[in-house]
Amino acid sequence: MRILPRPRTAAAEASRLRFRRQLIPYLFLLPYLTFFVLFRLGPALAGMGISFTKWSIVGAPEWVGLSNYEAMTRDPRLSAAVTNTLFFTGLTVPLLVVLGLALAMLMNQPHRGRALGRVAVFTPYVLMSTVVGVIWTWLLEKDFGLINVYLSQLGFEKVPWLVDQSTAMYGIVLTTVWWTVGYNMVLFLAGLQDIPTELYEAARIDGANAWQLFRRITLPLLAPTTFLVLMLTIINSFQVFDQVYVMTSGGPGTATLTLVQYIYTTAFQFRKMGYGAAIACLLFAILIIFALVQTRAYRRGVRGVAA
Amino acid sequence: MKKLFWRILLASMLVLPLGGLTLAQDDVVTIEFWGGWTGPDGDIMADLVNQWNEENPGIQVNLTIQQWSPLFDAFVVSASAGESPDILAMHPQEMPQFVELGLLTPLDDVIEGLEAINPDNYPASAWNANIYQGALYGIPLDLHMHGLYYNLDIFEEAGIEAPPATGEELLEIGRMLTIDENGLHPGDDGFDPDNVVQYAINMHTNHHAFFQWWSLYNQLGGQLISEDGTECVMDLDKAAEAWQFLQDLVYVHHIAPQGQTDYATDFLSGRTAMLIDGPWRMPALEAAEEESGFRWASARYPQVFDEQYAVWGSSHIFTLPALADPDKQDEALMFLEWLAANSAAWAESGQLPAFRAVMESEEFQSMYGREAFIEMMPYEVLFPNTPKYSEIFASNAPTPMMVMAQNIMLEQADPRTEVEAACEAITSILATP
Repeated sequence: MRILPRPRTAAAEASRLRFRRQLIPYLFLLPYLTFFVLFRLGPALAGMGISFTKWSIVGAPEWVGLSNYEAMTRDPRLSAAVTNTLFFTGLTVPLLVVLGLALAMLMNQPHRGRALGRVAVFTPYVLMSTVVGVIWTWLLEKDFGLINVYLSQLGFEKVPWLVDQSTAMYGIVLTTVWWTVGYNMVLFLAGLQDIPTELYEAARIDGANAWQLFRRITLPLLAPTTFLVLMLTIINSFQVFDQVYVMTSGGPGTATLTLVQYIYTTAFQFRKMGYGAAIACLLFAILIIFALVQTRAYRRGVRGVAA
Repeated sequence: MKKLFWRILLASMLVLPLGGLTLAQDDVVTIEFWGGWTGPDGDIMADLVNQWNEENPGIQVNLTIQQWSPLFDAFVVSASAGESPDILAMHPQEMPQFVELGLLTPLDDVIEGLEAINPDNYPASAWNANIYQGALYGIPLDLHMHGLYYNLDIFEEAGIEAPPATGEELLEIGRMLTIDENGLHPGDDGFDPDNVVQYAINMHTNHHAFFQWWSLYNQLGGQLISEDGTECVMDLDKAAEAWQFLQDLVYVHHIAPQGQTDYATDFLSGRTAMLIDGPWRMPALEAAEEESGFRWASARYPQVFDEQYAVWGSSHIFTLPALADPDKQDEALMFLEWLAANSAAWAESGQLPAFRAVMESEEFQSMYGREAFIEMMPYEVLFPNTPKYSEIFASNAPTPMMVMAQNIMLEQADPRTEVEAACEAITSILATP
C-alpha cells in the first residue's frame, strides 16, 4: 500500500498562513532592527561593559571593576557637568515646549503671512549646529556683537554673554531655543490639525470662550503630541553638545560644560574610554528615570482625561 | 552620543578603503600620508604631493587631510584595528601620548645615513622637540611661534613709528591706540571702557590665553613640569606675575578686549590695531592686502620681562607610525627627504621651514613679514613633552590650563589662587597612571 502524503487540512493551512502573516511585519522591521542592534543596542551594551574597564582604545581593556564609578563620586568636573546639564534642561525644556506650542497656535490661525511665518520659524532648524554656533558666537560677542550693539543703542548695559560664567549658559539657551523651537512648532502644528474643527464649533455654540476652548479641547486632545514633544525635548536637552562645543567648549572655566561634552572629552580627547563610558551610563540612567516618570505621568493624565 | 557614534563610524570608514588601496596595484607602492592642515596650507601640501607623484610614478603618495583632533581619533581607531598610515603629521607636544601607546616608531636608527634628514640640517630648537625619553620620534617640517602684527594705517595716523618691543612700550602705545566712542583714550578723564570702538591689541584673551601666559612665564624663566614628568613645579610667584600683566591689559589698562573670539576679523576690519598670532595668519593678511589694500607689518613678540627672551612656539613634524607596513618605510623616507629639500613652497603657508637650506635661502628670507619670525626661531619655547598633554593643555576641554586662563582673563579671578589650583590639578593628572 502506498502511503499518500497526508492532505493538508484546512486548519493546518490556516495556521501556516497566520504564521506567515505574523512574520511579514517582522520582515519589514528587519532592516531597521539589524541597524538598531548593530549600531545602537550593540554599542550601548558594549559601552556598559567598557565602563568596568580601563582602556585607551589601543590595546586590550583592563578590568577595573567599579573603580570608574567610584571615581565619579569625587570628580568636581563631573558634578559641574551634571549641574550645568540639569540647569540647561530645566531652562530650555519649558521654553521650547511653551514657545513651540504658542508659535504653532499662532501659525495655525488663518492669517496672511502664515506660510512665511512657519518657514521663518522652522528654517533655523535645518542649519548645521556648527553654523548656528558660529553665527551666535558673533551675535553674542561682547564688544562688537550685534545683540550688544542693539542693547546699548536701546540704552541697556552690554551683557558679557559667552565670556562670563554667570551669563554664558543663557547665551547657549537663547541660541538653542532659536535653533530648535521650529521643530517643536511643526510637531504641535501637526497635532493641532488633527483636532476636528467640529469640536470647536460645537463648544462655541455652547458659549465657550477662547480660554475654555484651549483648556478643554486643545490641551487634552493635544496631550499625545505634547508628551512626544516633551520627551524629545528633554532627551535632546540632556544630550546637548554641538552648539556648546562650538560656542564655548564648556567655558568660561566649566560654566557650560555639559555631560555629553565631558563624555566626549574624557573618552576621545583624554582617551579614557572606561571612565567616559561610565559617565555615559550615568546619563543613560538619568534619561531612563525621566522617561519612566513621564510615561507614568502621561498614563495617569490620559486616564484622567478619559474619565 | 549620536555624534560620538558618527565619529567612530566615520573614522572606520576612512580607514577601511585606505587599507584596500595598496593591494590594488602590485608594482606601485602607495604611501598613506595623513595631516591636519585644513587651511590654505593644506592646498600647498596637496600641491607638493602632486608634484612628487608626477615625478615618481612608482611611489604614489596618498594625502588625507582632516582637522587634527578627528585625525588623531581616526589614527587611534585604525591603530586599534591594527592599521596605520605610513606617515602621520602632528605637533611635538602630541607625540608623547602616542609613544606611550606604542604607536610611533623610534627614528634614530631609521634615519641613519640619510642625506637631508639629519640633525645638522635643522635648528636645534626644532630638532630637539622631537626627542622623548631619549629617542627621536619626529622629523620637523616647520616652526611657528607667536609674533606681533600691526595695522600700518592706524600706526601712521597716530604718528607711532615703531611697534612695541617691551611691556612698557606696549602699555604706552596701547593707550594711544585704544579709543572709546567719544574719542577718549584710557587714562583720559571720562574714558568709557564699556564703549570702546578701537582696541590697541588682541592677545587671545579667551581659551587660548594660556599661550600668552606661556610666553611671559618663560620670559621670567619659569618651569612647569618636573624633569621626571611626575609633578607640577610651577614657580607660583612668577606664574601669577605673568598672568597679572595679561589680566591688567584688559581690566586695568583697558587696551585689550575681554574674551574676544574672532580676533583675526577684528584685526582685519581695523577694530584692533595689533594682533598677536602665528605666522599661519600671513596668507590671510596677504589676501586682504591684495583685495582691499590692508596694510600690515610684523614684529617680534614683545619682551615684557627682562630675565630672558622667550615666546610660545611649536612645529609640524612627521612621524612614522609603528603599525605601518615596514616594507614601505624606505619609500616613505624617500618622500620625506624630497619634501624637506623642496619645502620652499611650504613657506607660502606662512609656516617657517625648519630645513636649514630652505630657511636660509634668499627666496624665503626676502618674503614679506617673515623677518621677525625668523629672528624669533631660536627663542621659541614649546609646551613640555608629556603624554598627558591633552589632559593638561587642550583648549577646548575643561583642562587646568583652560580653566585657569578663563577664570583669570574672563572672571578677573585672583591669579595667585588660580595658578595654585592649576598646579595642584596638573600634579594630580600626572600622578594618575
